[in-house]
Amino acid sequence: MTSNSASASTTKTWSGGRSPYNVSYGKLMMWIFLLSDAFTFSSLLIGYGAVRFSYPKAEPLAQEHVIKPMSHVSHEFIEEMKEIGAFSEAHWPSPDLVFNHFPFLHGLHLPLFFVSLMTFILIFSSVTMVLAVEAGHRMDKTKVRNYMFYTILGGLAFLGCQAWEWTQFITAGCSLDSNPYGPAQFATLFFVVTGFHGFHVFSGVVINLIIYINTIIGTYEKRGHYEMIEKVGLYWHFVDLVWVFVFTFFYLI
Amino acid sequence: MHYKNSEEYEPISYVPHVESHGTSEIWRTLTILTVLTVVDIILYFTMPLTGFRNFIFIVLGIVKAYYIVASFMHMKHEKIDLAACILVPLLFVLGLIAGLLYEGNFWLLNP
Repeated sequence: MTSNSASASTTKTWSGGRSPYNVSYGKLMMWIFLLSDAFTFSSLLIGYGAVRFSYPKAEPLAQEHVIKPMSHVSHEFIEEMKEIGAFSEAHWPSPDLVFNHFPFLHGLHLPLFFVSLMTFILIFSSVTMVLAVEAGHRMDKTKVRNYMFYTILGGLAFLGCQAWEWTQFITAGCSLDSNPYGPAQFATLFFVVTGFHGFHVFSGVVINLIIYINTIIGTYEKRGHYEMIEKVGLYWHFVDLVWVFVFTFFYLI
Repeated sequence: MHYKNSEEYEPISYVPHVESHGTSEIWRTLTILTVLTVVDIILYFTMPLTGFRNFIFIVLGIVKAYYIVASFMHMKHEKIDLAACILVPLLFVLGLIAGLLYEGNFWLLNP
């Protein structure tokens, strides 16, 4: 911009005839929506933190009870943990002892392995999304189509993992108002927050499918630009972003 | 595709032309996110349970968030005005953290 004073440049930016932020209407509105969604998820996660920290922490397991990854095989794991006082109504359970399952490896103590897998699935599907956006900038229809396909696969894989995780949690006896691990709010907040995030992933997959079909039938080719991929991409990355914090606050801490 | 006067410019249909930035930055960001997540996992299994460990996890989460927003969501290629418009309101989140987390351990369930 070749303006010689700040006020002149402000006038030019905001006096009409141009886009002040140099983005399309749709993209700006997507950002505003994501801002509001960020507030929603912040509220949920901070609410989770408030309830969690109003309970005392679980004490670390005594030396003779320490469970090494890969070592523990038992069908009465929850009962054993209750007996030694690791699960109790009086304190928040340690995520280490709750989220320790992995598909096809029943009974092994594998904390964090499964959610790490889910995290990598979501990161990779974010990468294929951003590759689709990049291909869209070059008007490369075939590449956009292929990368969108991988993105949808990643989203479905993540949803499958989450369904498995929920099944595991529910068959262990967890519901919205009670659970064998400790305070009722532990399962309530788990279902509400991961459910809300999972529903975002589900909506993302549906929207991805719609733009995938539109790419195939040439809607964006005719329109002359692939901006729709970018806008949906913003939403998809946001879902990944939220998962980073769900992973941190539910599983790591 | 920059409109010179207000007669041509139609706000609803205006879509700026964006050039591809290539894929090298995408692979770099993927590497960073993967390394940070692996660091998370290693710390989870090796560090004792302390507040400091939680602090590291939160910092790593924020660093990952930065790379997702700046690189994947293209925020660092947008105008600074747009970035500010979206990011500055997030300061309200700090207010909620102060209100709920800092005080949460005494006003909630276990007085």
